[in-house]
Amino acid sequence: MSSIHARIPADLAATIRKETNWSLSHRLRHGAQSVLARAYPRVFGMIREPSWLFFDLVFPILGMCSFVFLLRSRGVDDAWVSATILASALLTFWTSVIWMMAGQFRWERDSGNLTLYITAPVGLGPITLGMAVGGALGMAFRAVVIITAGSLAFGATYEIREPALLALTLLLGVSAMYALGACLAAFFLISGREADHLGDLLNEPMQLLGGVFAPIRSLGLVGMVAIGVLPLAPAADALRQIAIPQLAVSGLLPVNIELLILIVMVVVFSIGSRYALRYIERVGRAGGKLLTRAD
Amino acid sequence: MQTDSPYTRRPTSFGPLRGSAADAVRSLVASARLAWAIEGNWAEPFYLAVYLVIRPLAFLGLFLAVLSIGGSLNPASIGFVVVGQAVFQIVGAALQGPTHALLDDRERYRTIRYIFATPSSLLPVSVGRALVKAAIAGISAAIVIGVGAILGMPLRSGGIDLILLTVVMLLGLLSIVGIGIALGAVCVQLRNDAWGYPQAVAGSVFLLCGAIFPLDTLPAPLQALGAALPITWWIEGVRRAILGTTSPGLLGTLATGELLLALLVGTLVILAVTPRLFKLGIDRARDKGYLDRNTAS
Repeated sequence: MSSIHARIPADLAATIRKETNWSLSHRLRHGAQSVLARAYPRVFGMIREPSWLFFDLVFPILGMCSFVFLLRSRGVDDAWVSATILASALLTFWTSVIWMMAGQFRWERDSGNLTLYITAPVGLGPITLGMAVGGALGMAFRAVVIITAGSLAFGATYEIREPALLALTLLLGVSAMYALGACLAAFFLISGREADHLGDLLNEPMQLLGGVFAPIRSLGLVGMVAIGVLPLAPAADALRQIAIPQLAVSGLLPVNIELLILIVMVVVFSIGSRYALRYIERVGRAGGKLLTRAD
Repeated sequence: MQTDSPYTRRPTSFGPLRGSAADAVRSLVASARLAWAIEGNWAEPFYLAVYLVIRPLAFLGLFLAVLSIGGSLNPASIGFVVVGQAVFQIVGAALQGPTHALLDDRERYRTIRYIFATPSSLLPVSVGRALVKAAIAGISAAIVIGVGAILGMPLRSGGIDLILLTVVMLLGLLSIVGIGIALGAVCVQLRNDAWGYPQAVAGSVFLLCGAIFPLDTLPAPLQALGAALPITWWIEGVRRAILGTTSPGLLGTLATGELLLALLVGTLVILAVTPRLFKLGIDRARDKGYLDRNTAS
């Protein structure tokens, strides 16, 4: 490091110091601009590539229909049909967390974009936050479409007595999921071909452990553990209790406790992702492997 | 004077279907070995085994958890869902296999142009890749059925009908690989989201073929569509071979002989159409330069 600095003329070094020694407000403004810049394509990309929107909607809707018909074949209470539609909407966020957060940097590396991120005058933190903000906003639109389509097709109804509580639960649940996704992004980045399979393992197994389509209470002790580590679990359980009061008895914990768990998850996963990304970037740069294609 | 040098010999046809049957078998074996290396050596054998066990069991657990919502699980329902879900593991893998192999070779490994430069034919190469994916899915399916039996799934009295099982598995596998090959030839033409189409088709088929619920639950037009799919007959045949019972409703009214005949005719039609469609699609893709395309998707 010192040998590199030794080769830089003093006046140039002073200029670099001056131009990079930003004030806190400058850094915050720059960070916010970076977040917005990264979020922008995630929100407006679907206007330019309608096929993305199609596929983001068709998979969860097909899955939702399968579960609804399975419930109908058993003659189950229609409240569970409403719960299934709600769960499918929540799953769009989770799918986005797996492939558009956790797997994103790896994909960017393989397609060559990570080089641009690394050389740009912005850390991976704001870029990750931008991915999360843009991803969550884009998915919110898809979730609304899924709930509307499901309600129209299957006559699902919801009885929301506390809309603010519902919005808060959704916000915390989505934030916790994306914060976990940011943690996993670092892990996926150091993975090779196993990353694809890891993504698969975060899909159906997590839907089961998260109690997305069936009450997490039925999982017993496993459900209790899942609700403490997997954001999908408290989010799905709380949303079901709030939006479909008939199913409140199926909840594992009271809603306020589940909100508390989600707050803790947001904090822990956010801090964890910051350190994990910094560590991976530092180690990857030092080893010269950060930008190496996995295959 | 005529010589037999390579320069004067009549060139063989240049396309996705070329060479002798022996060449095709060699290509198929080589591509199957390559597919196993791609699909099977990304992890230590222990972790691979864990992966092969966890995912299908989680899928099964998910359906059983949903089934249990209506009250206690009855063994007949468990059997219906277990067999349907197990067979569909193979369907999904074989449907997506050829498309993913073509796109992987085109965009990820960038080797498809070199396959064309060799005497290998692309059809057996794609079939070999799909068969290995289907075989790996078959392991998952066997695990699911084994777990189902442990959970109390009622098996056919007198044991599994191995002859019926072998016949329906063979016909079903041929038909599904055929559909997967045709899908691959279509998807290689696409610019956007080519990877997503096989998954979308698999998802639609899952909904229509009565894998986890009886066809009669679907609205009438979808029932007719589902009843026309060879995959529906395949799953029904496997259910009869393993469980010894027929599905409720429409499919249950068919005699096993009629079911086999329908599956045989469907498979023959698919096998007659698919190679031509594949050649047409790949030739078009080569003419248009799509085999060198990188969509970065």
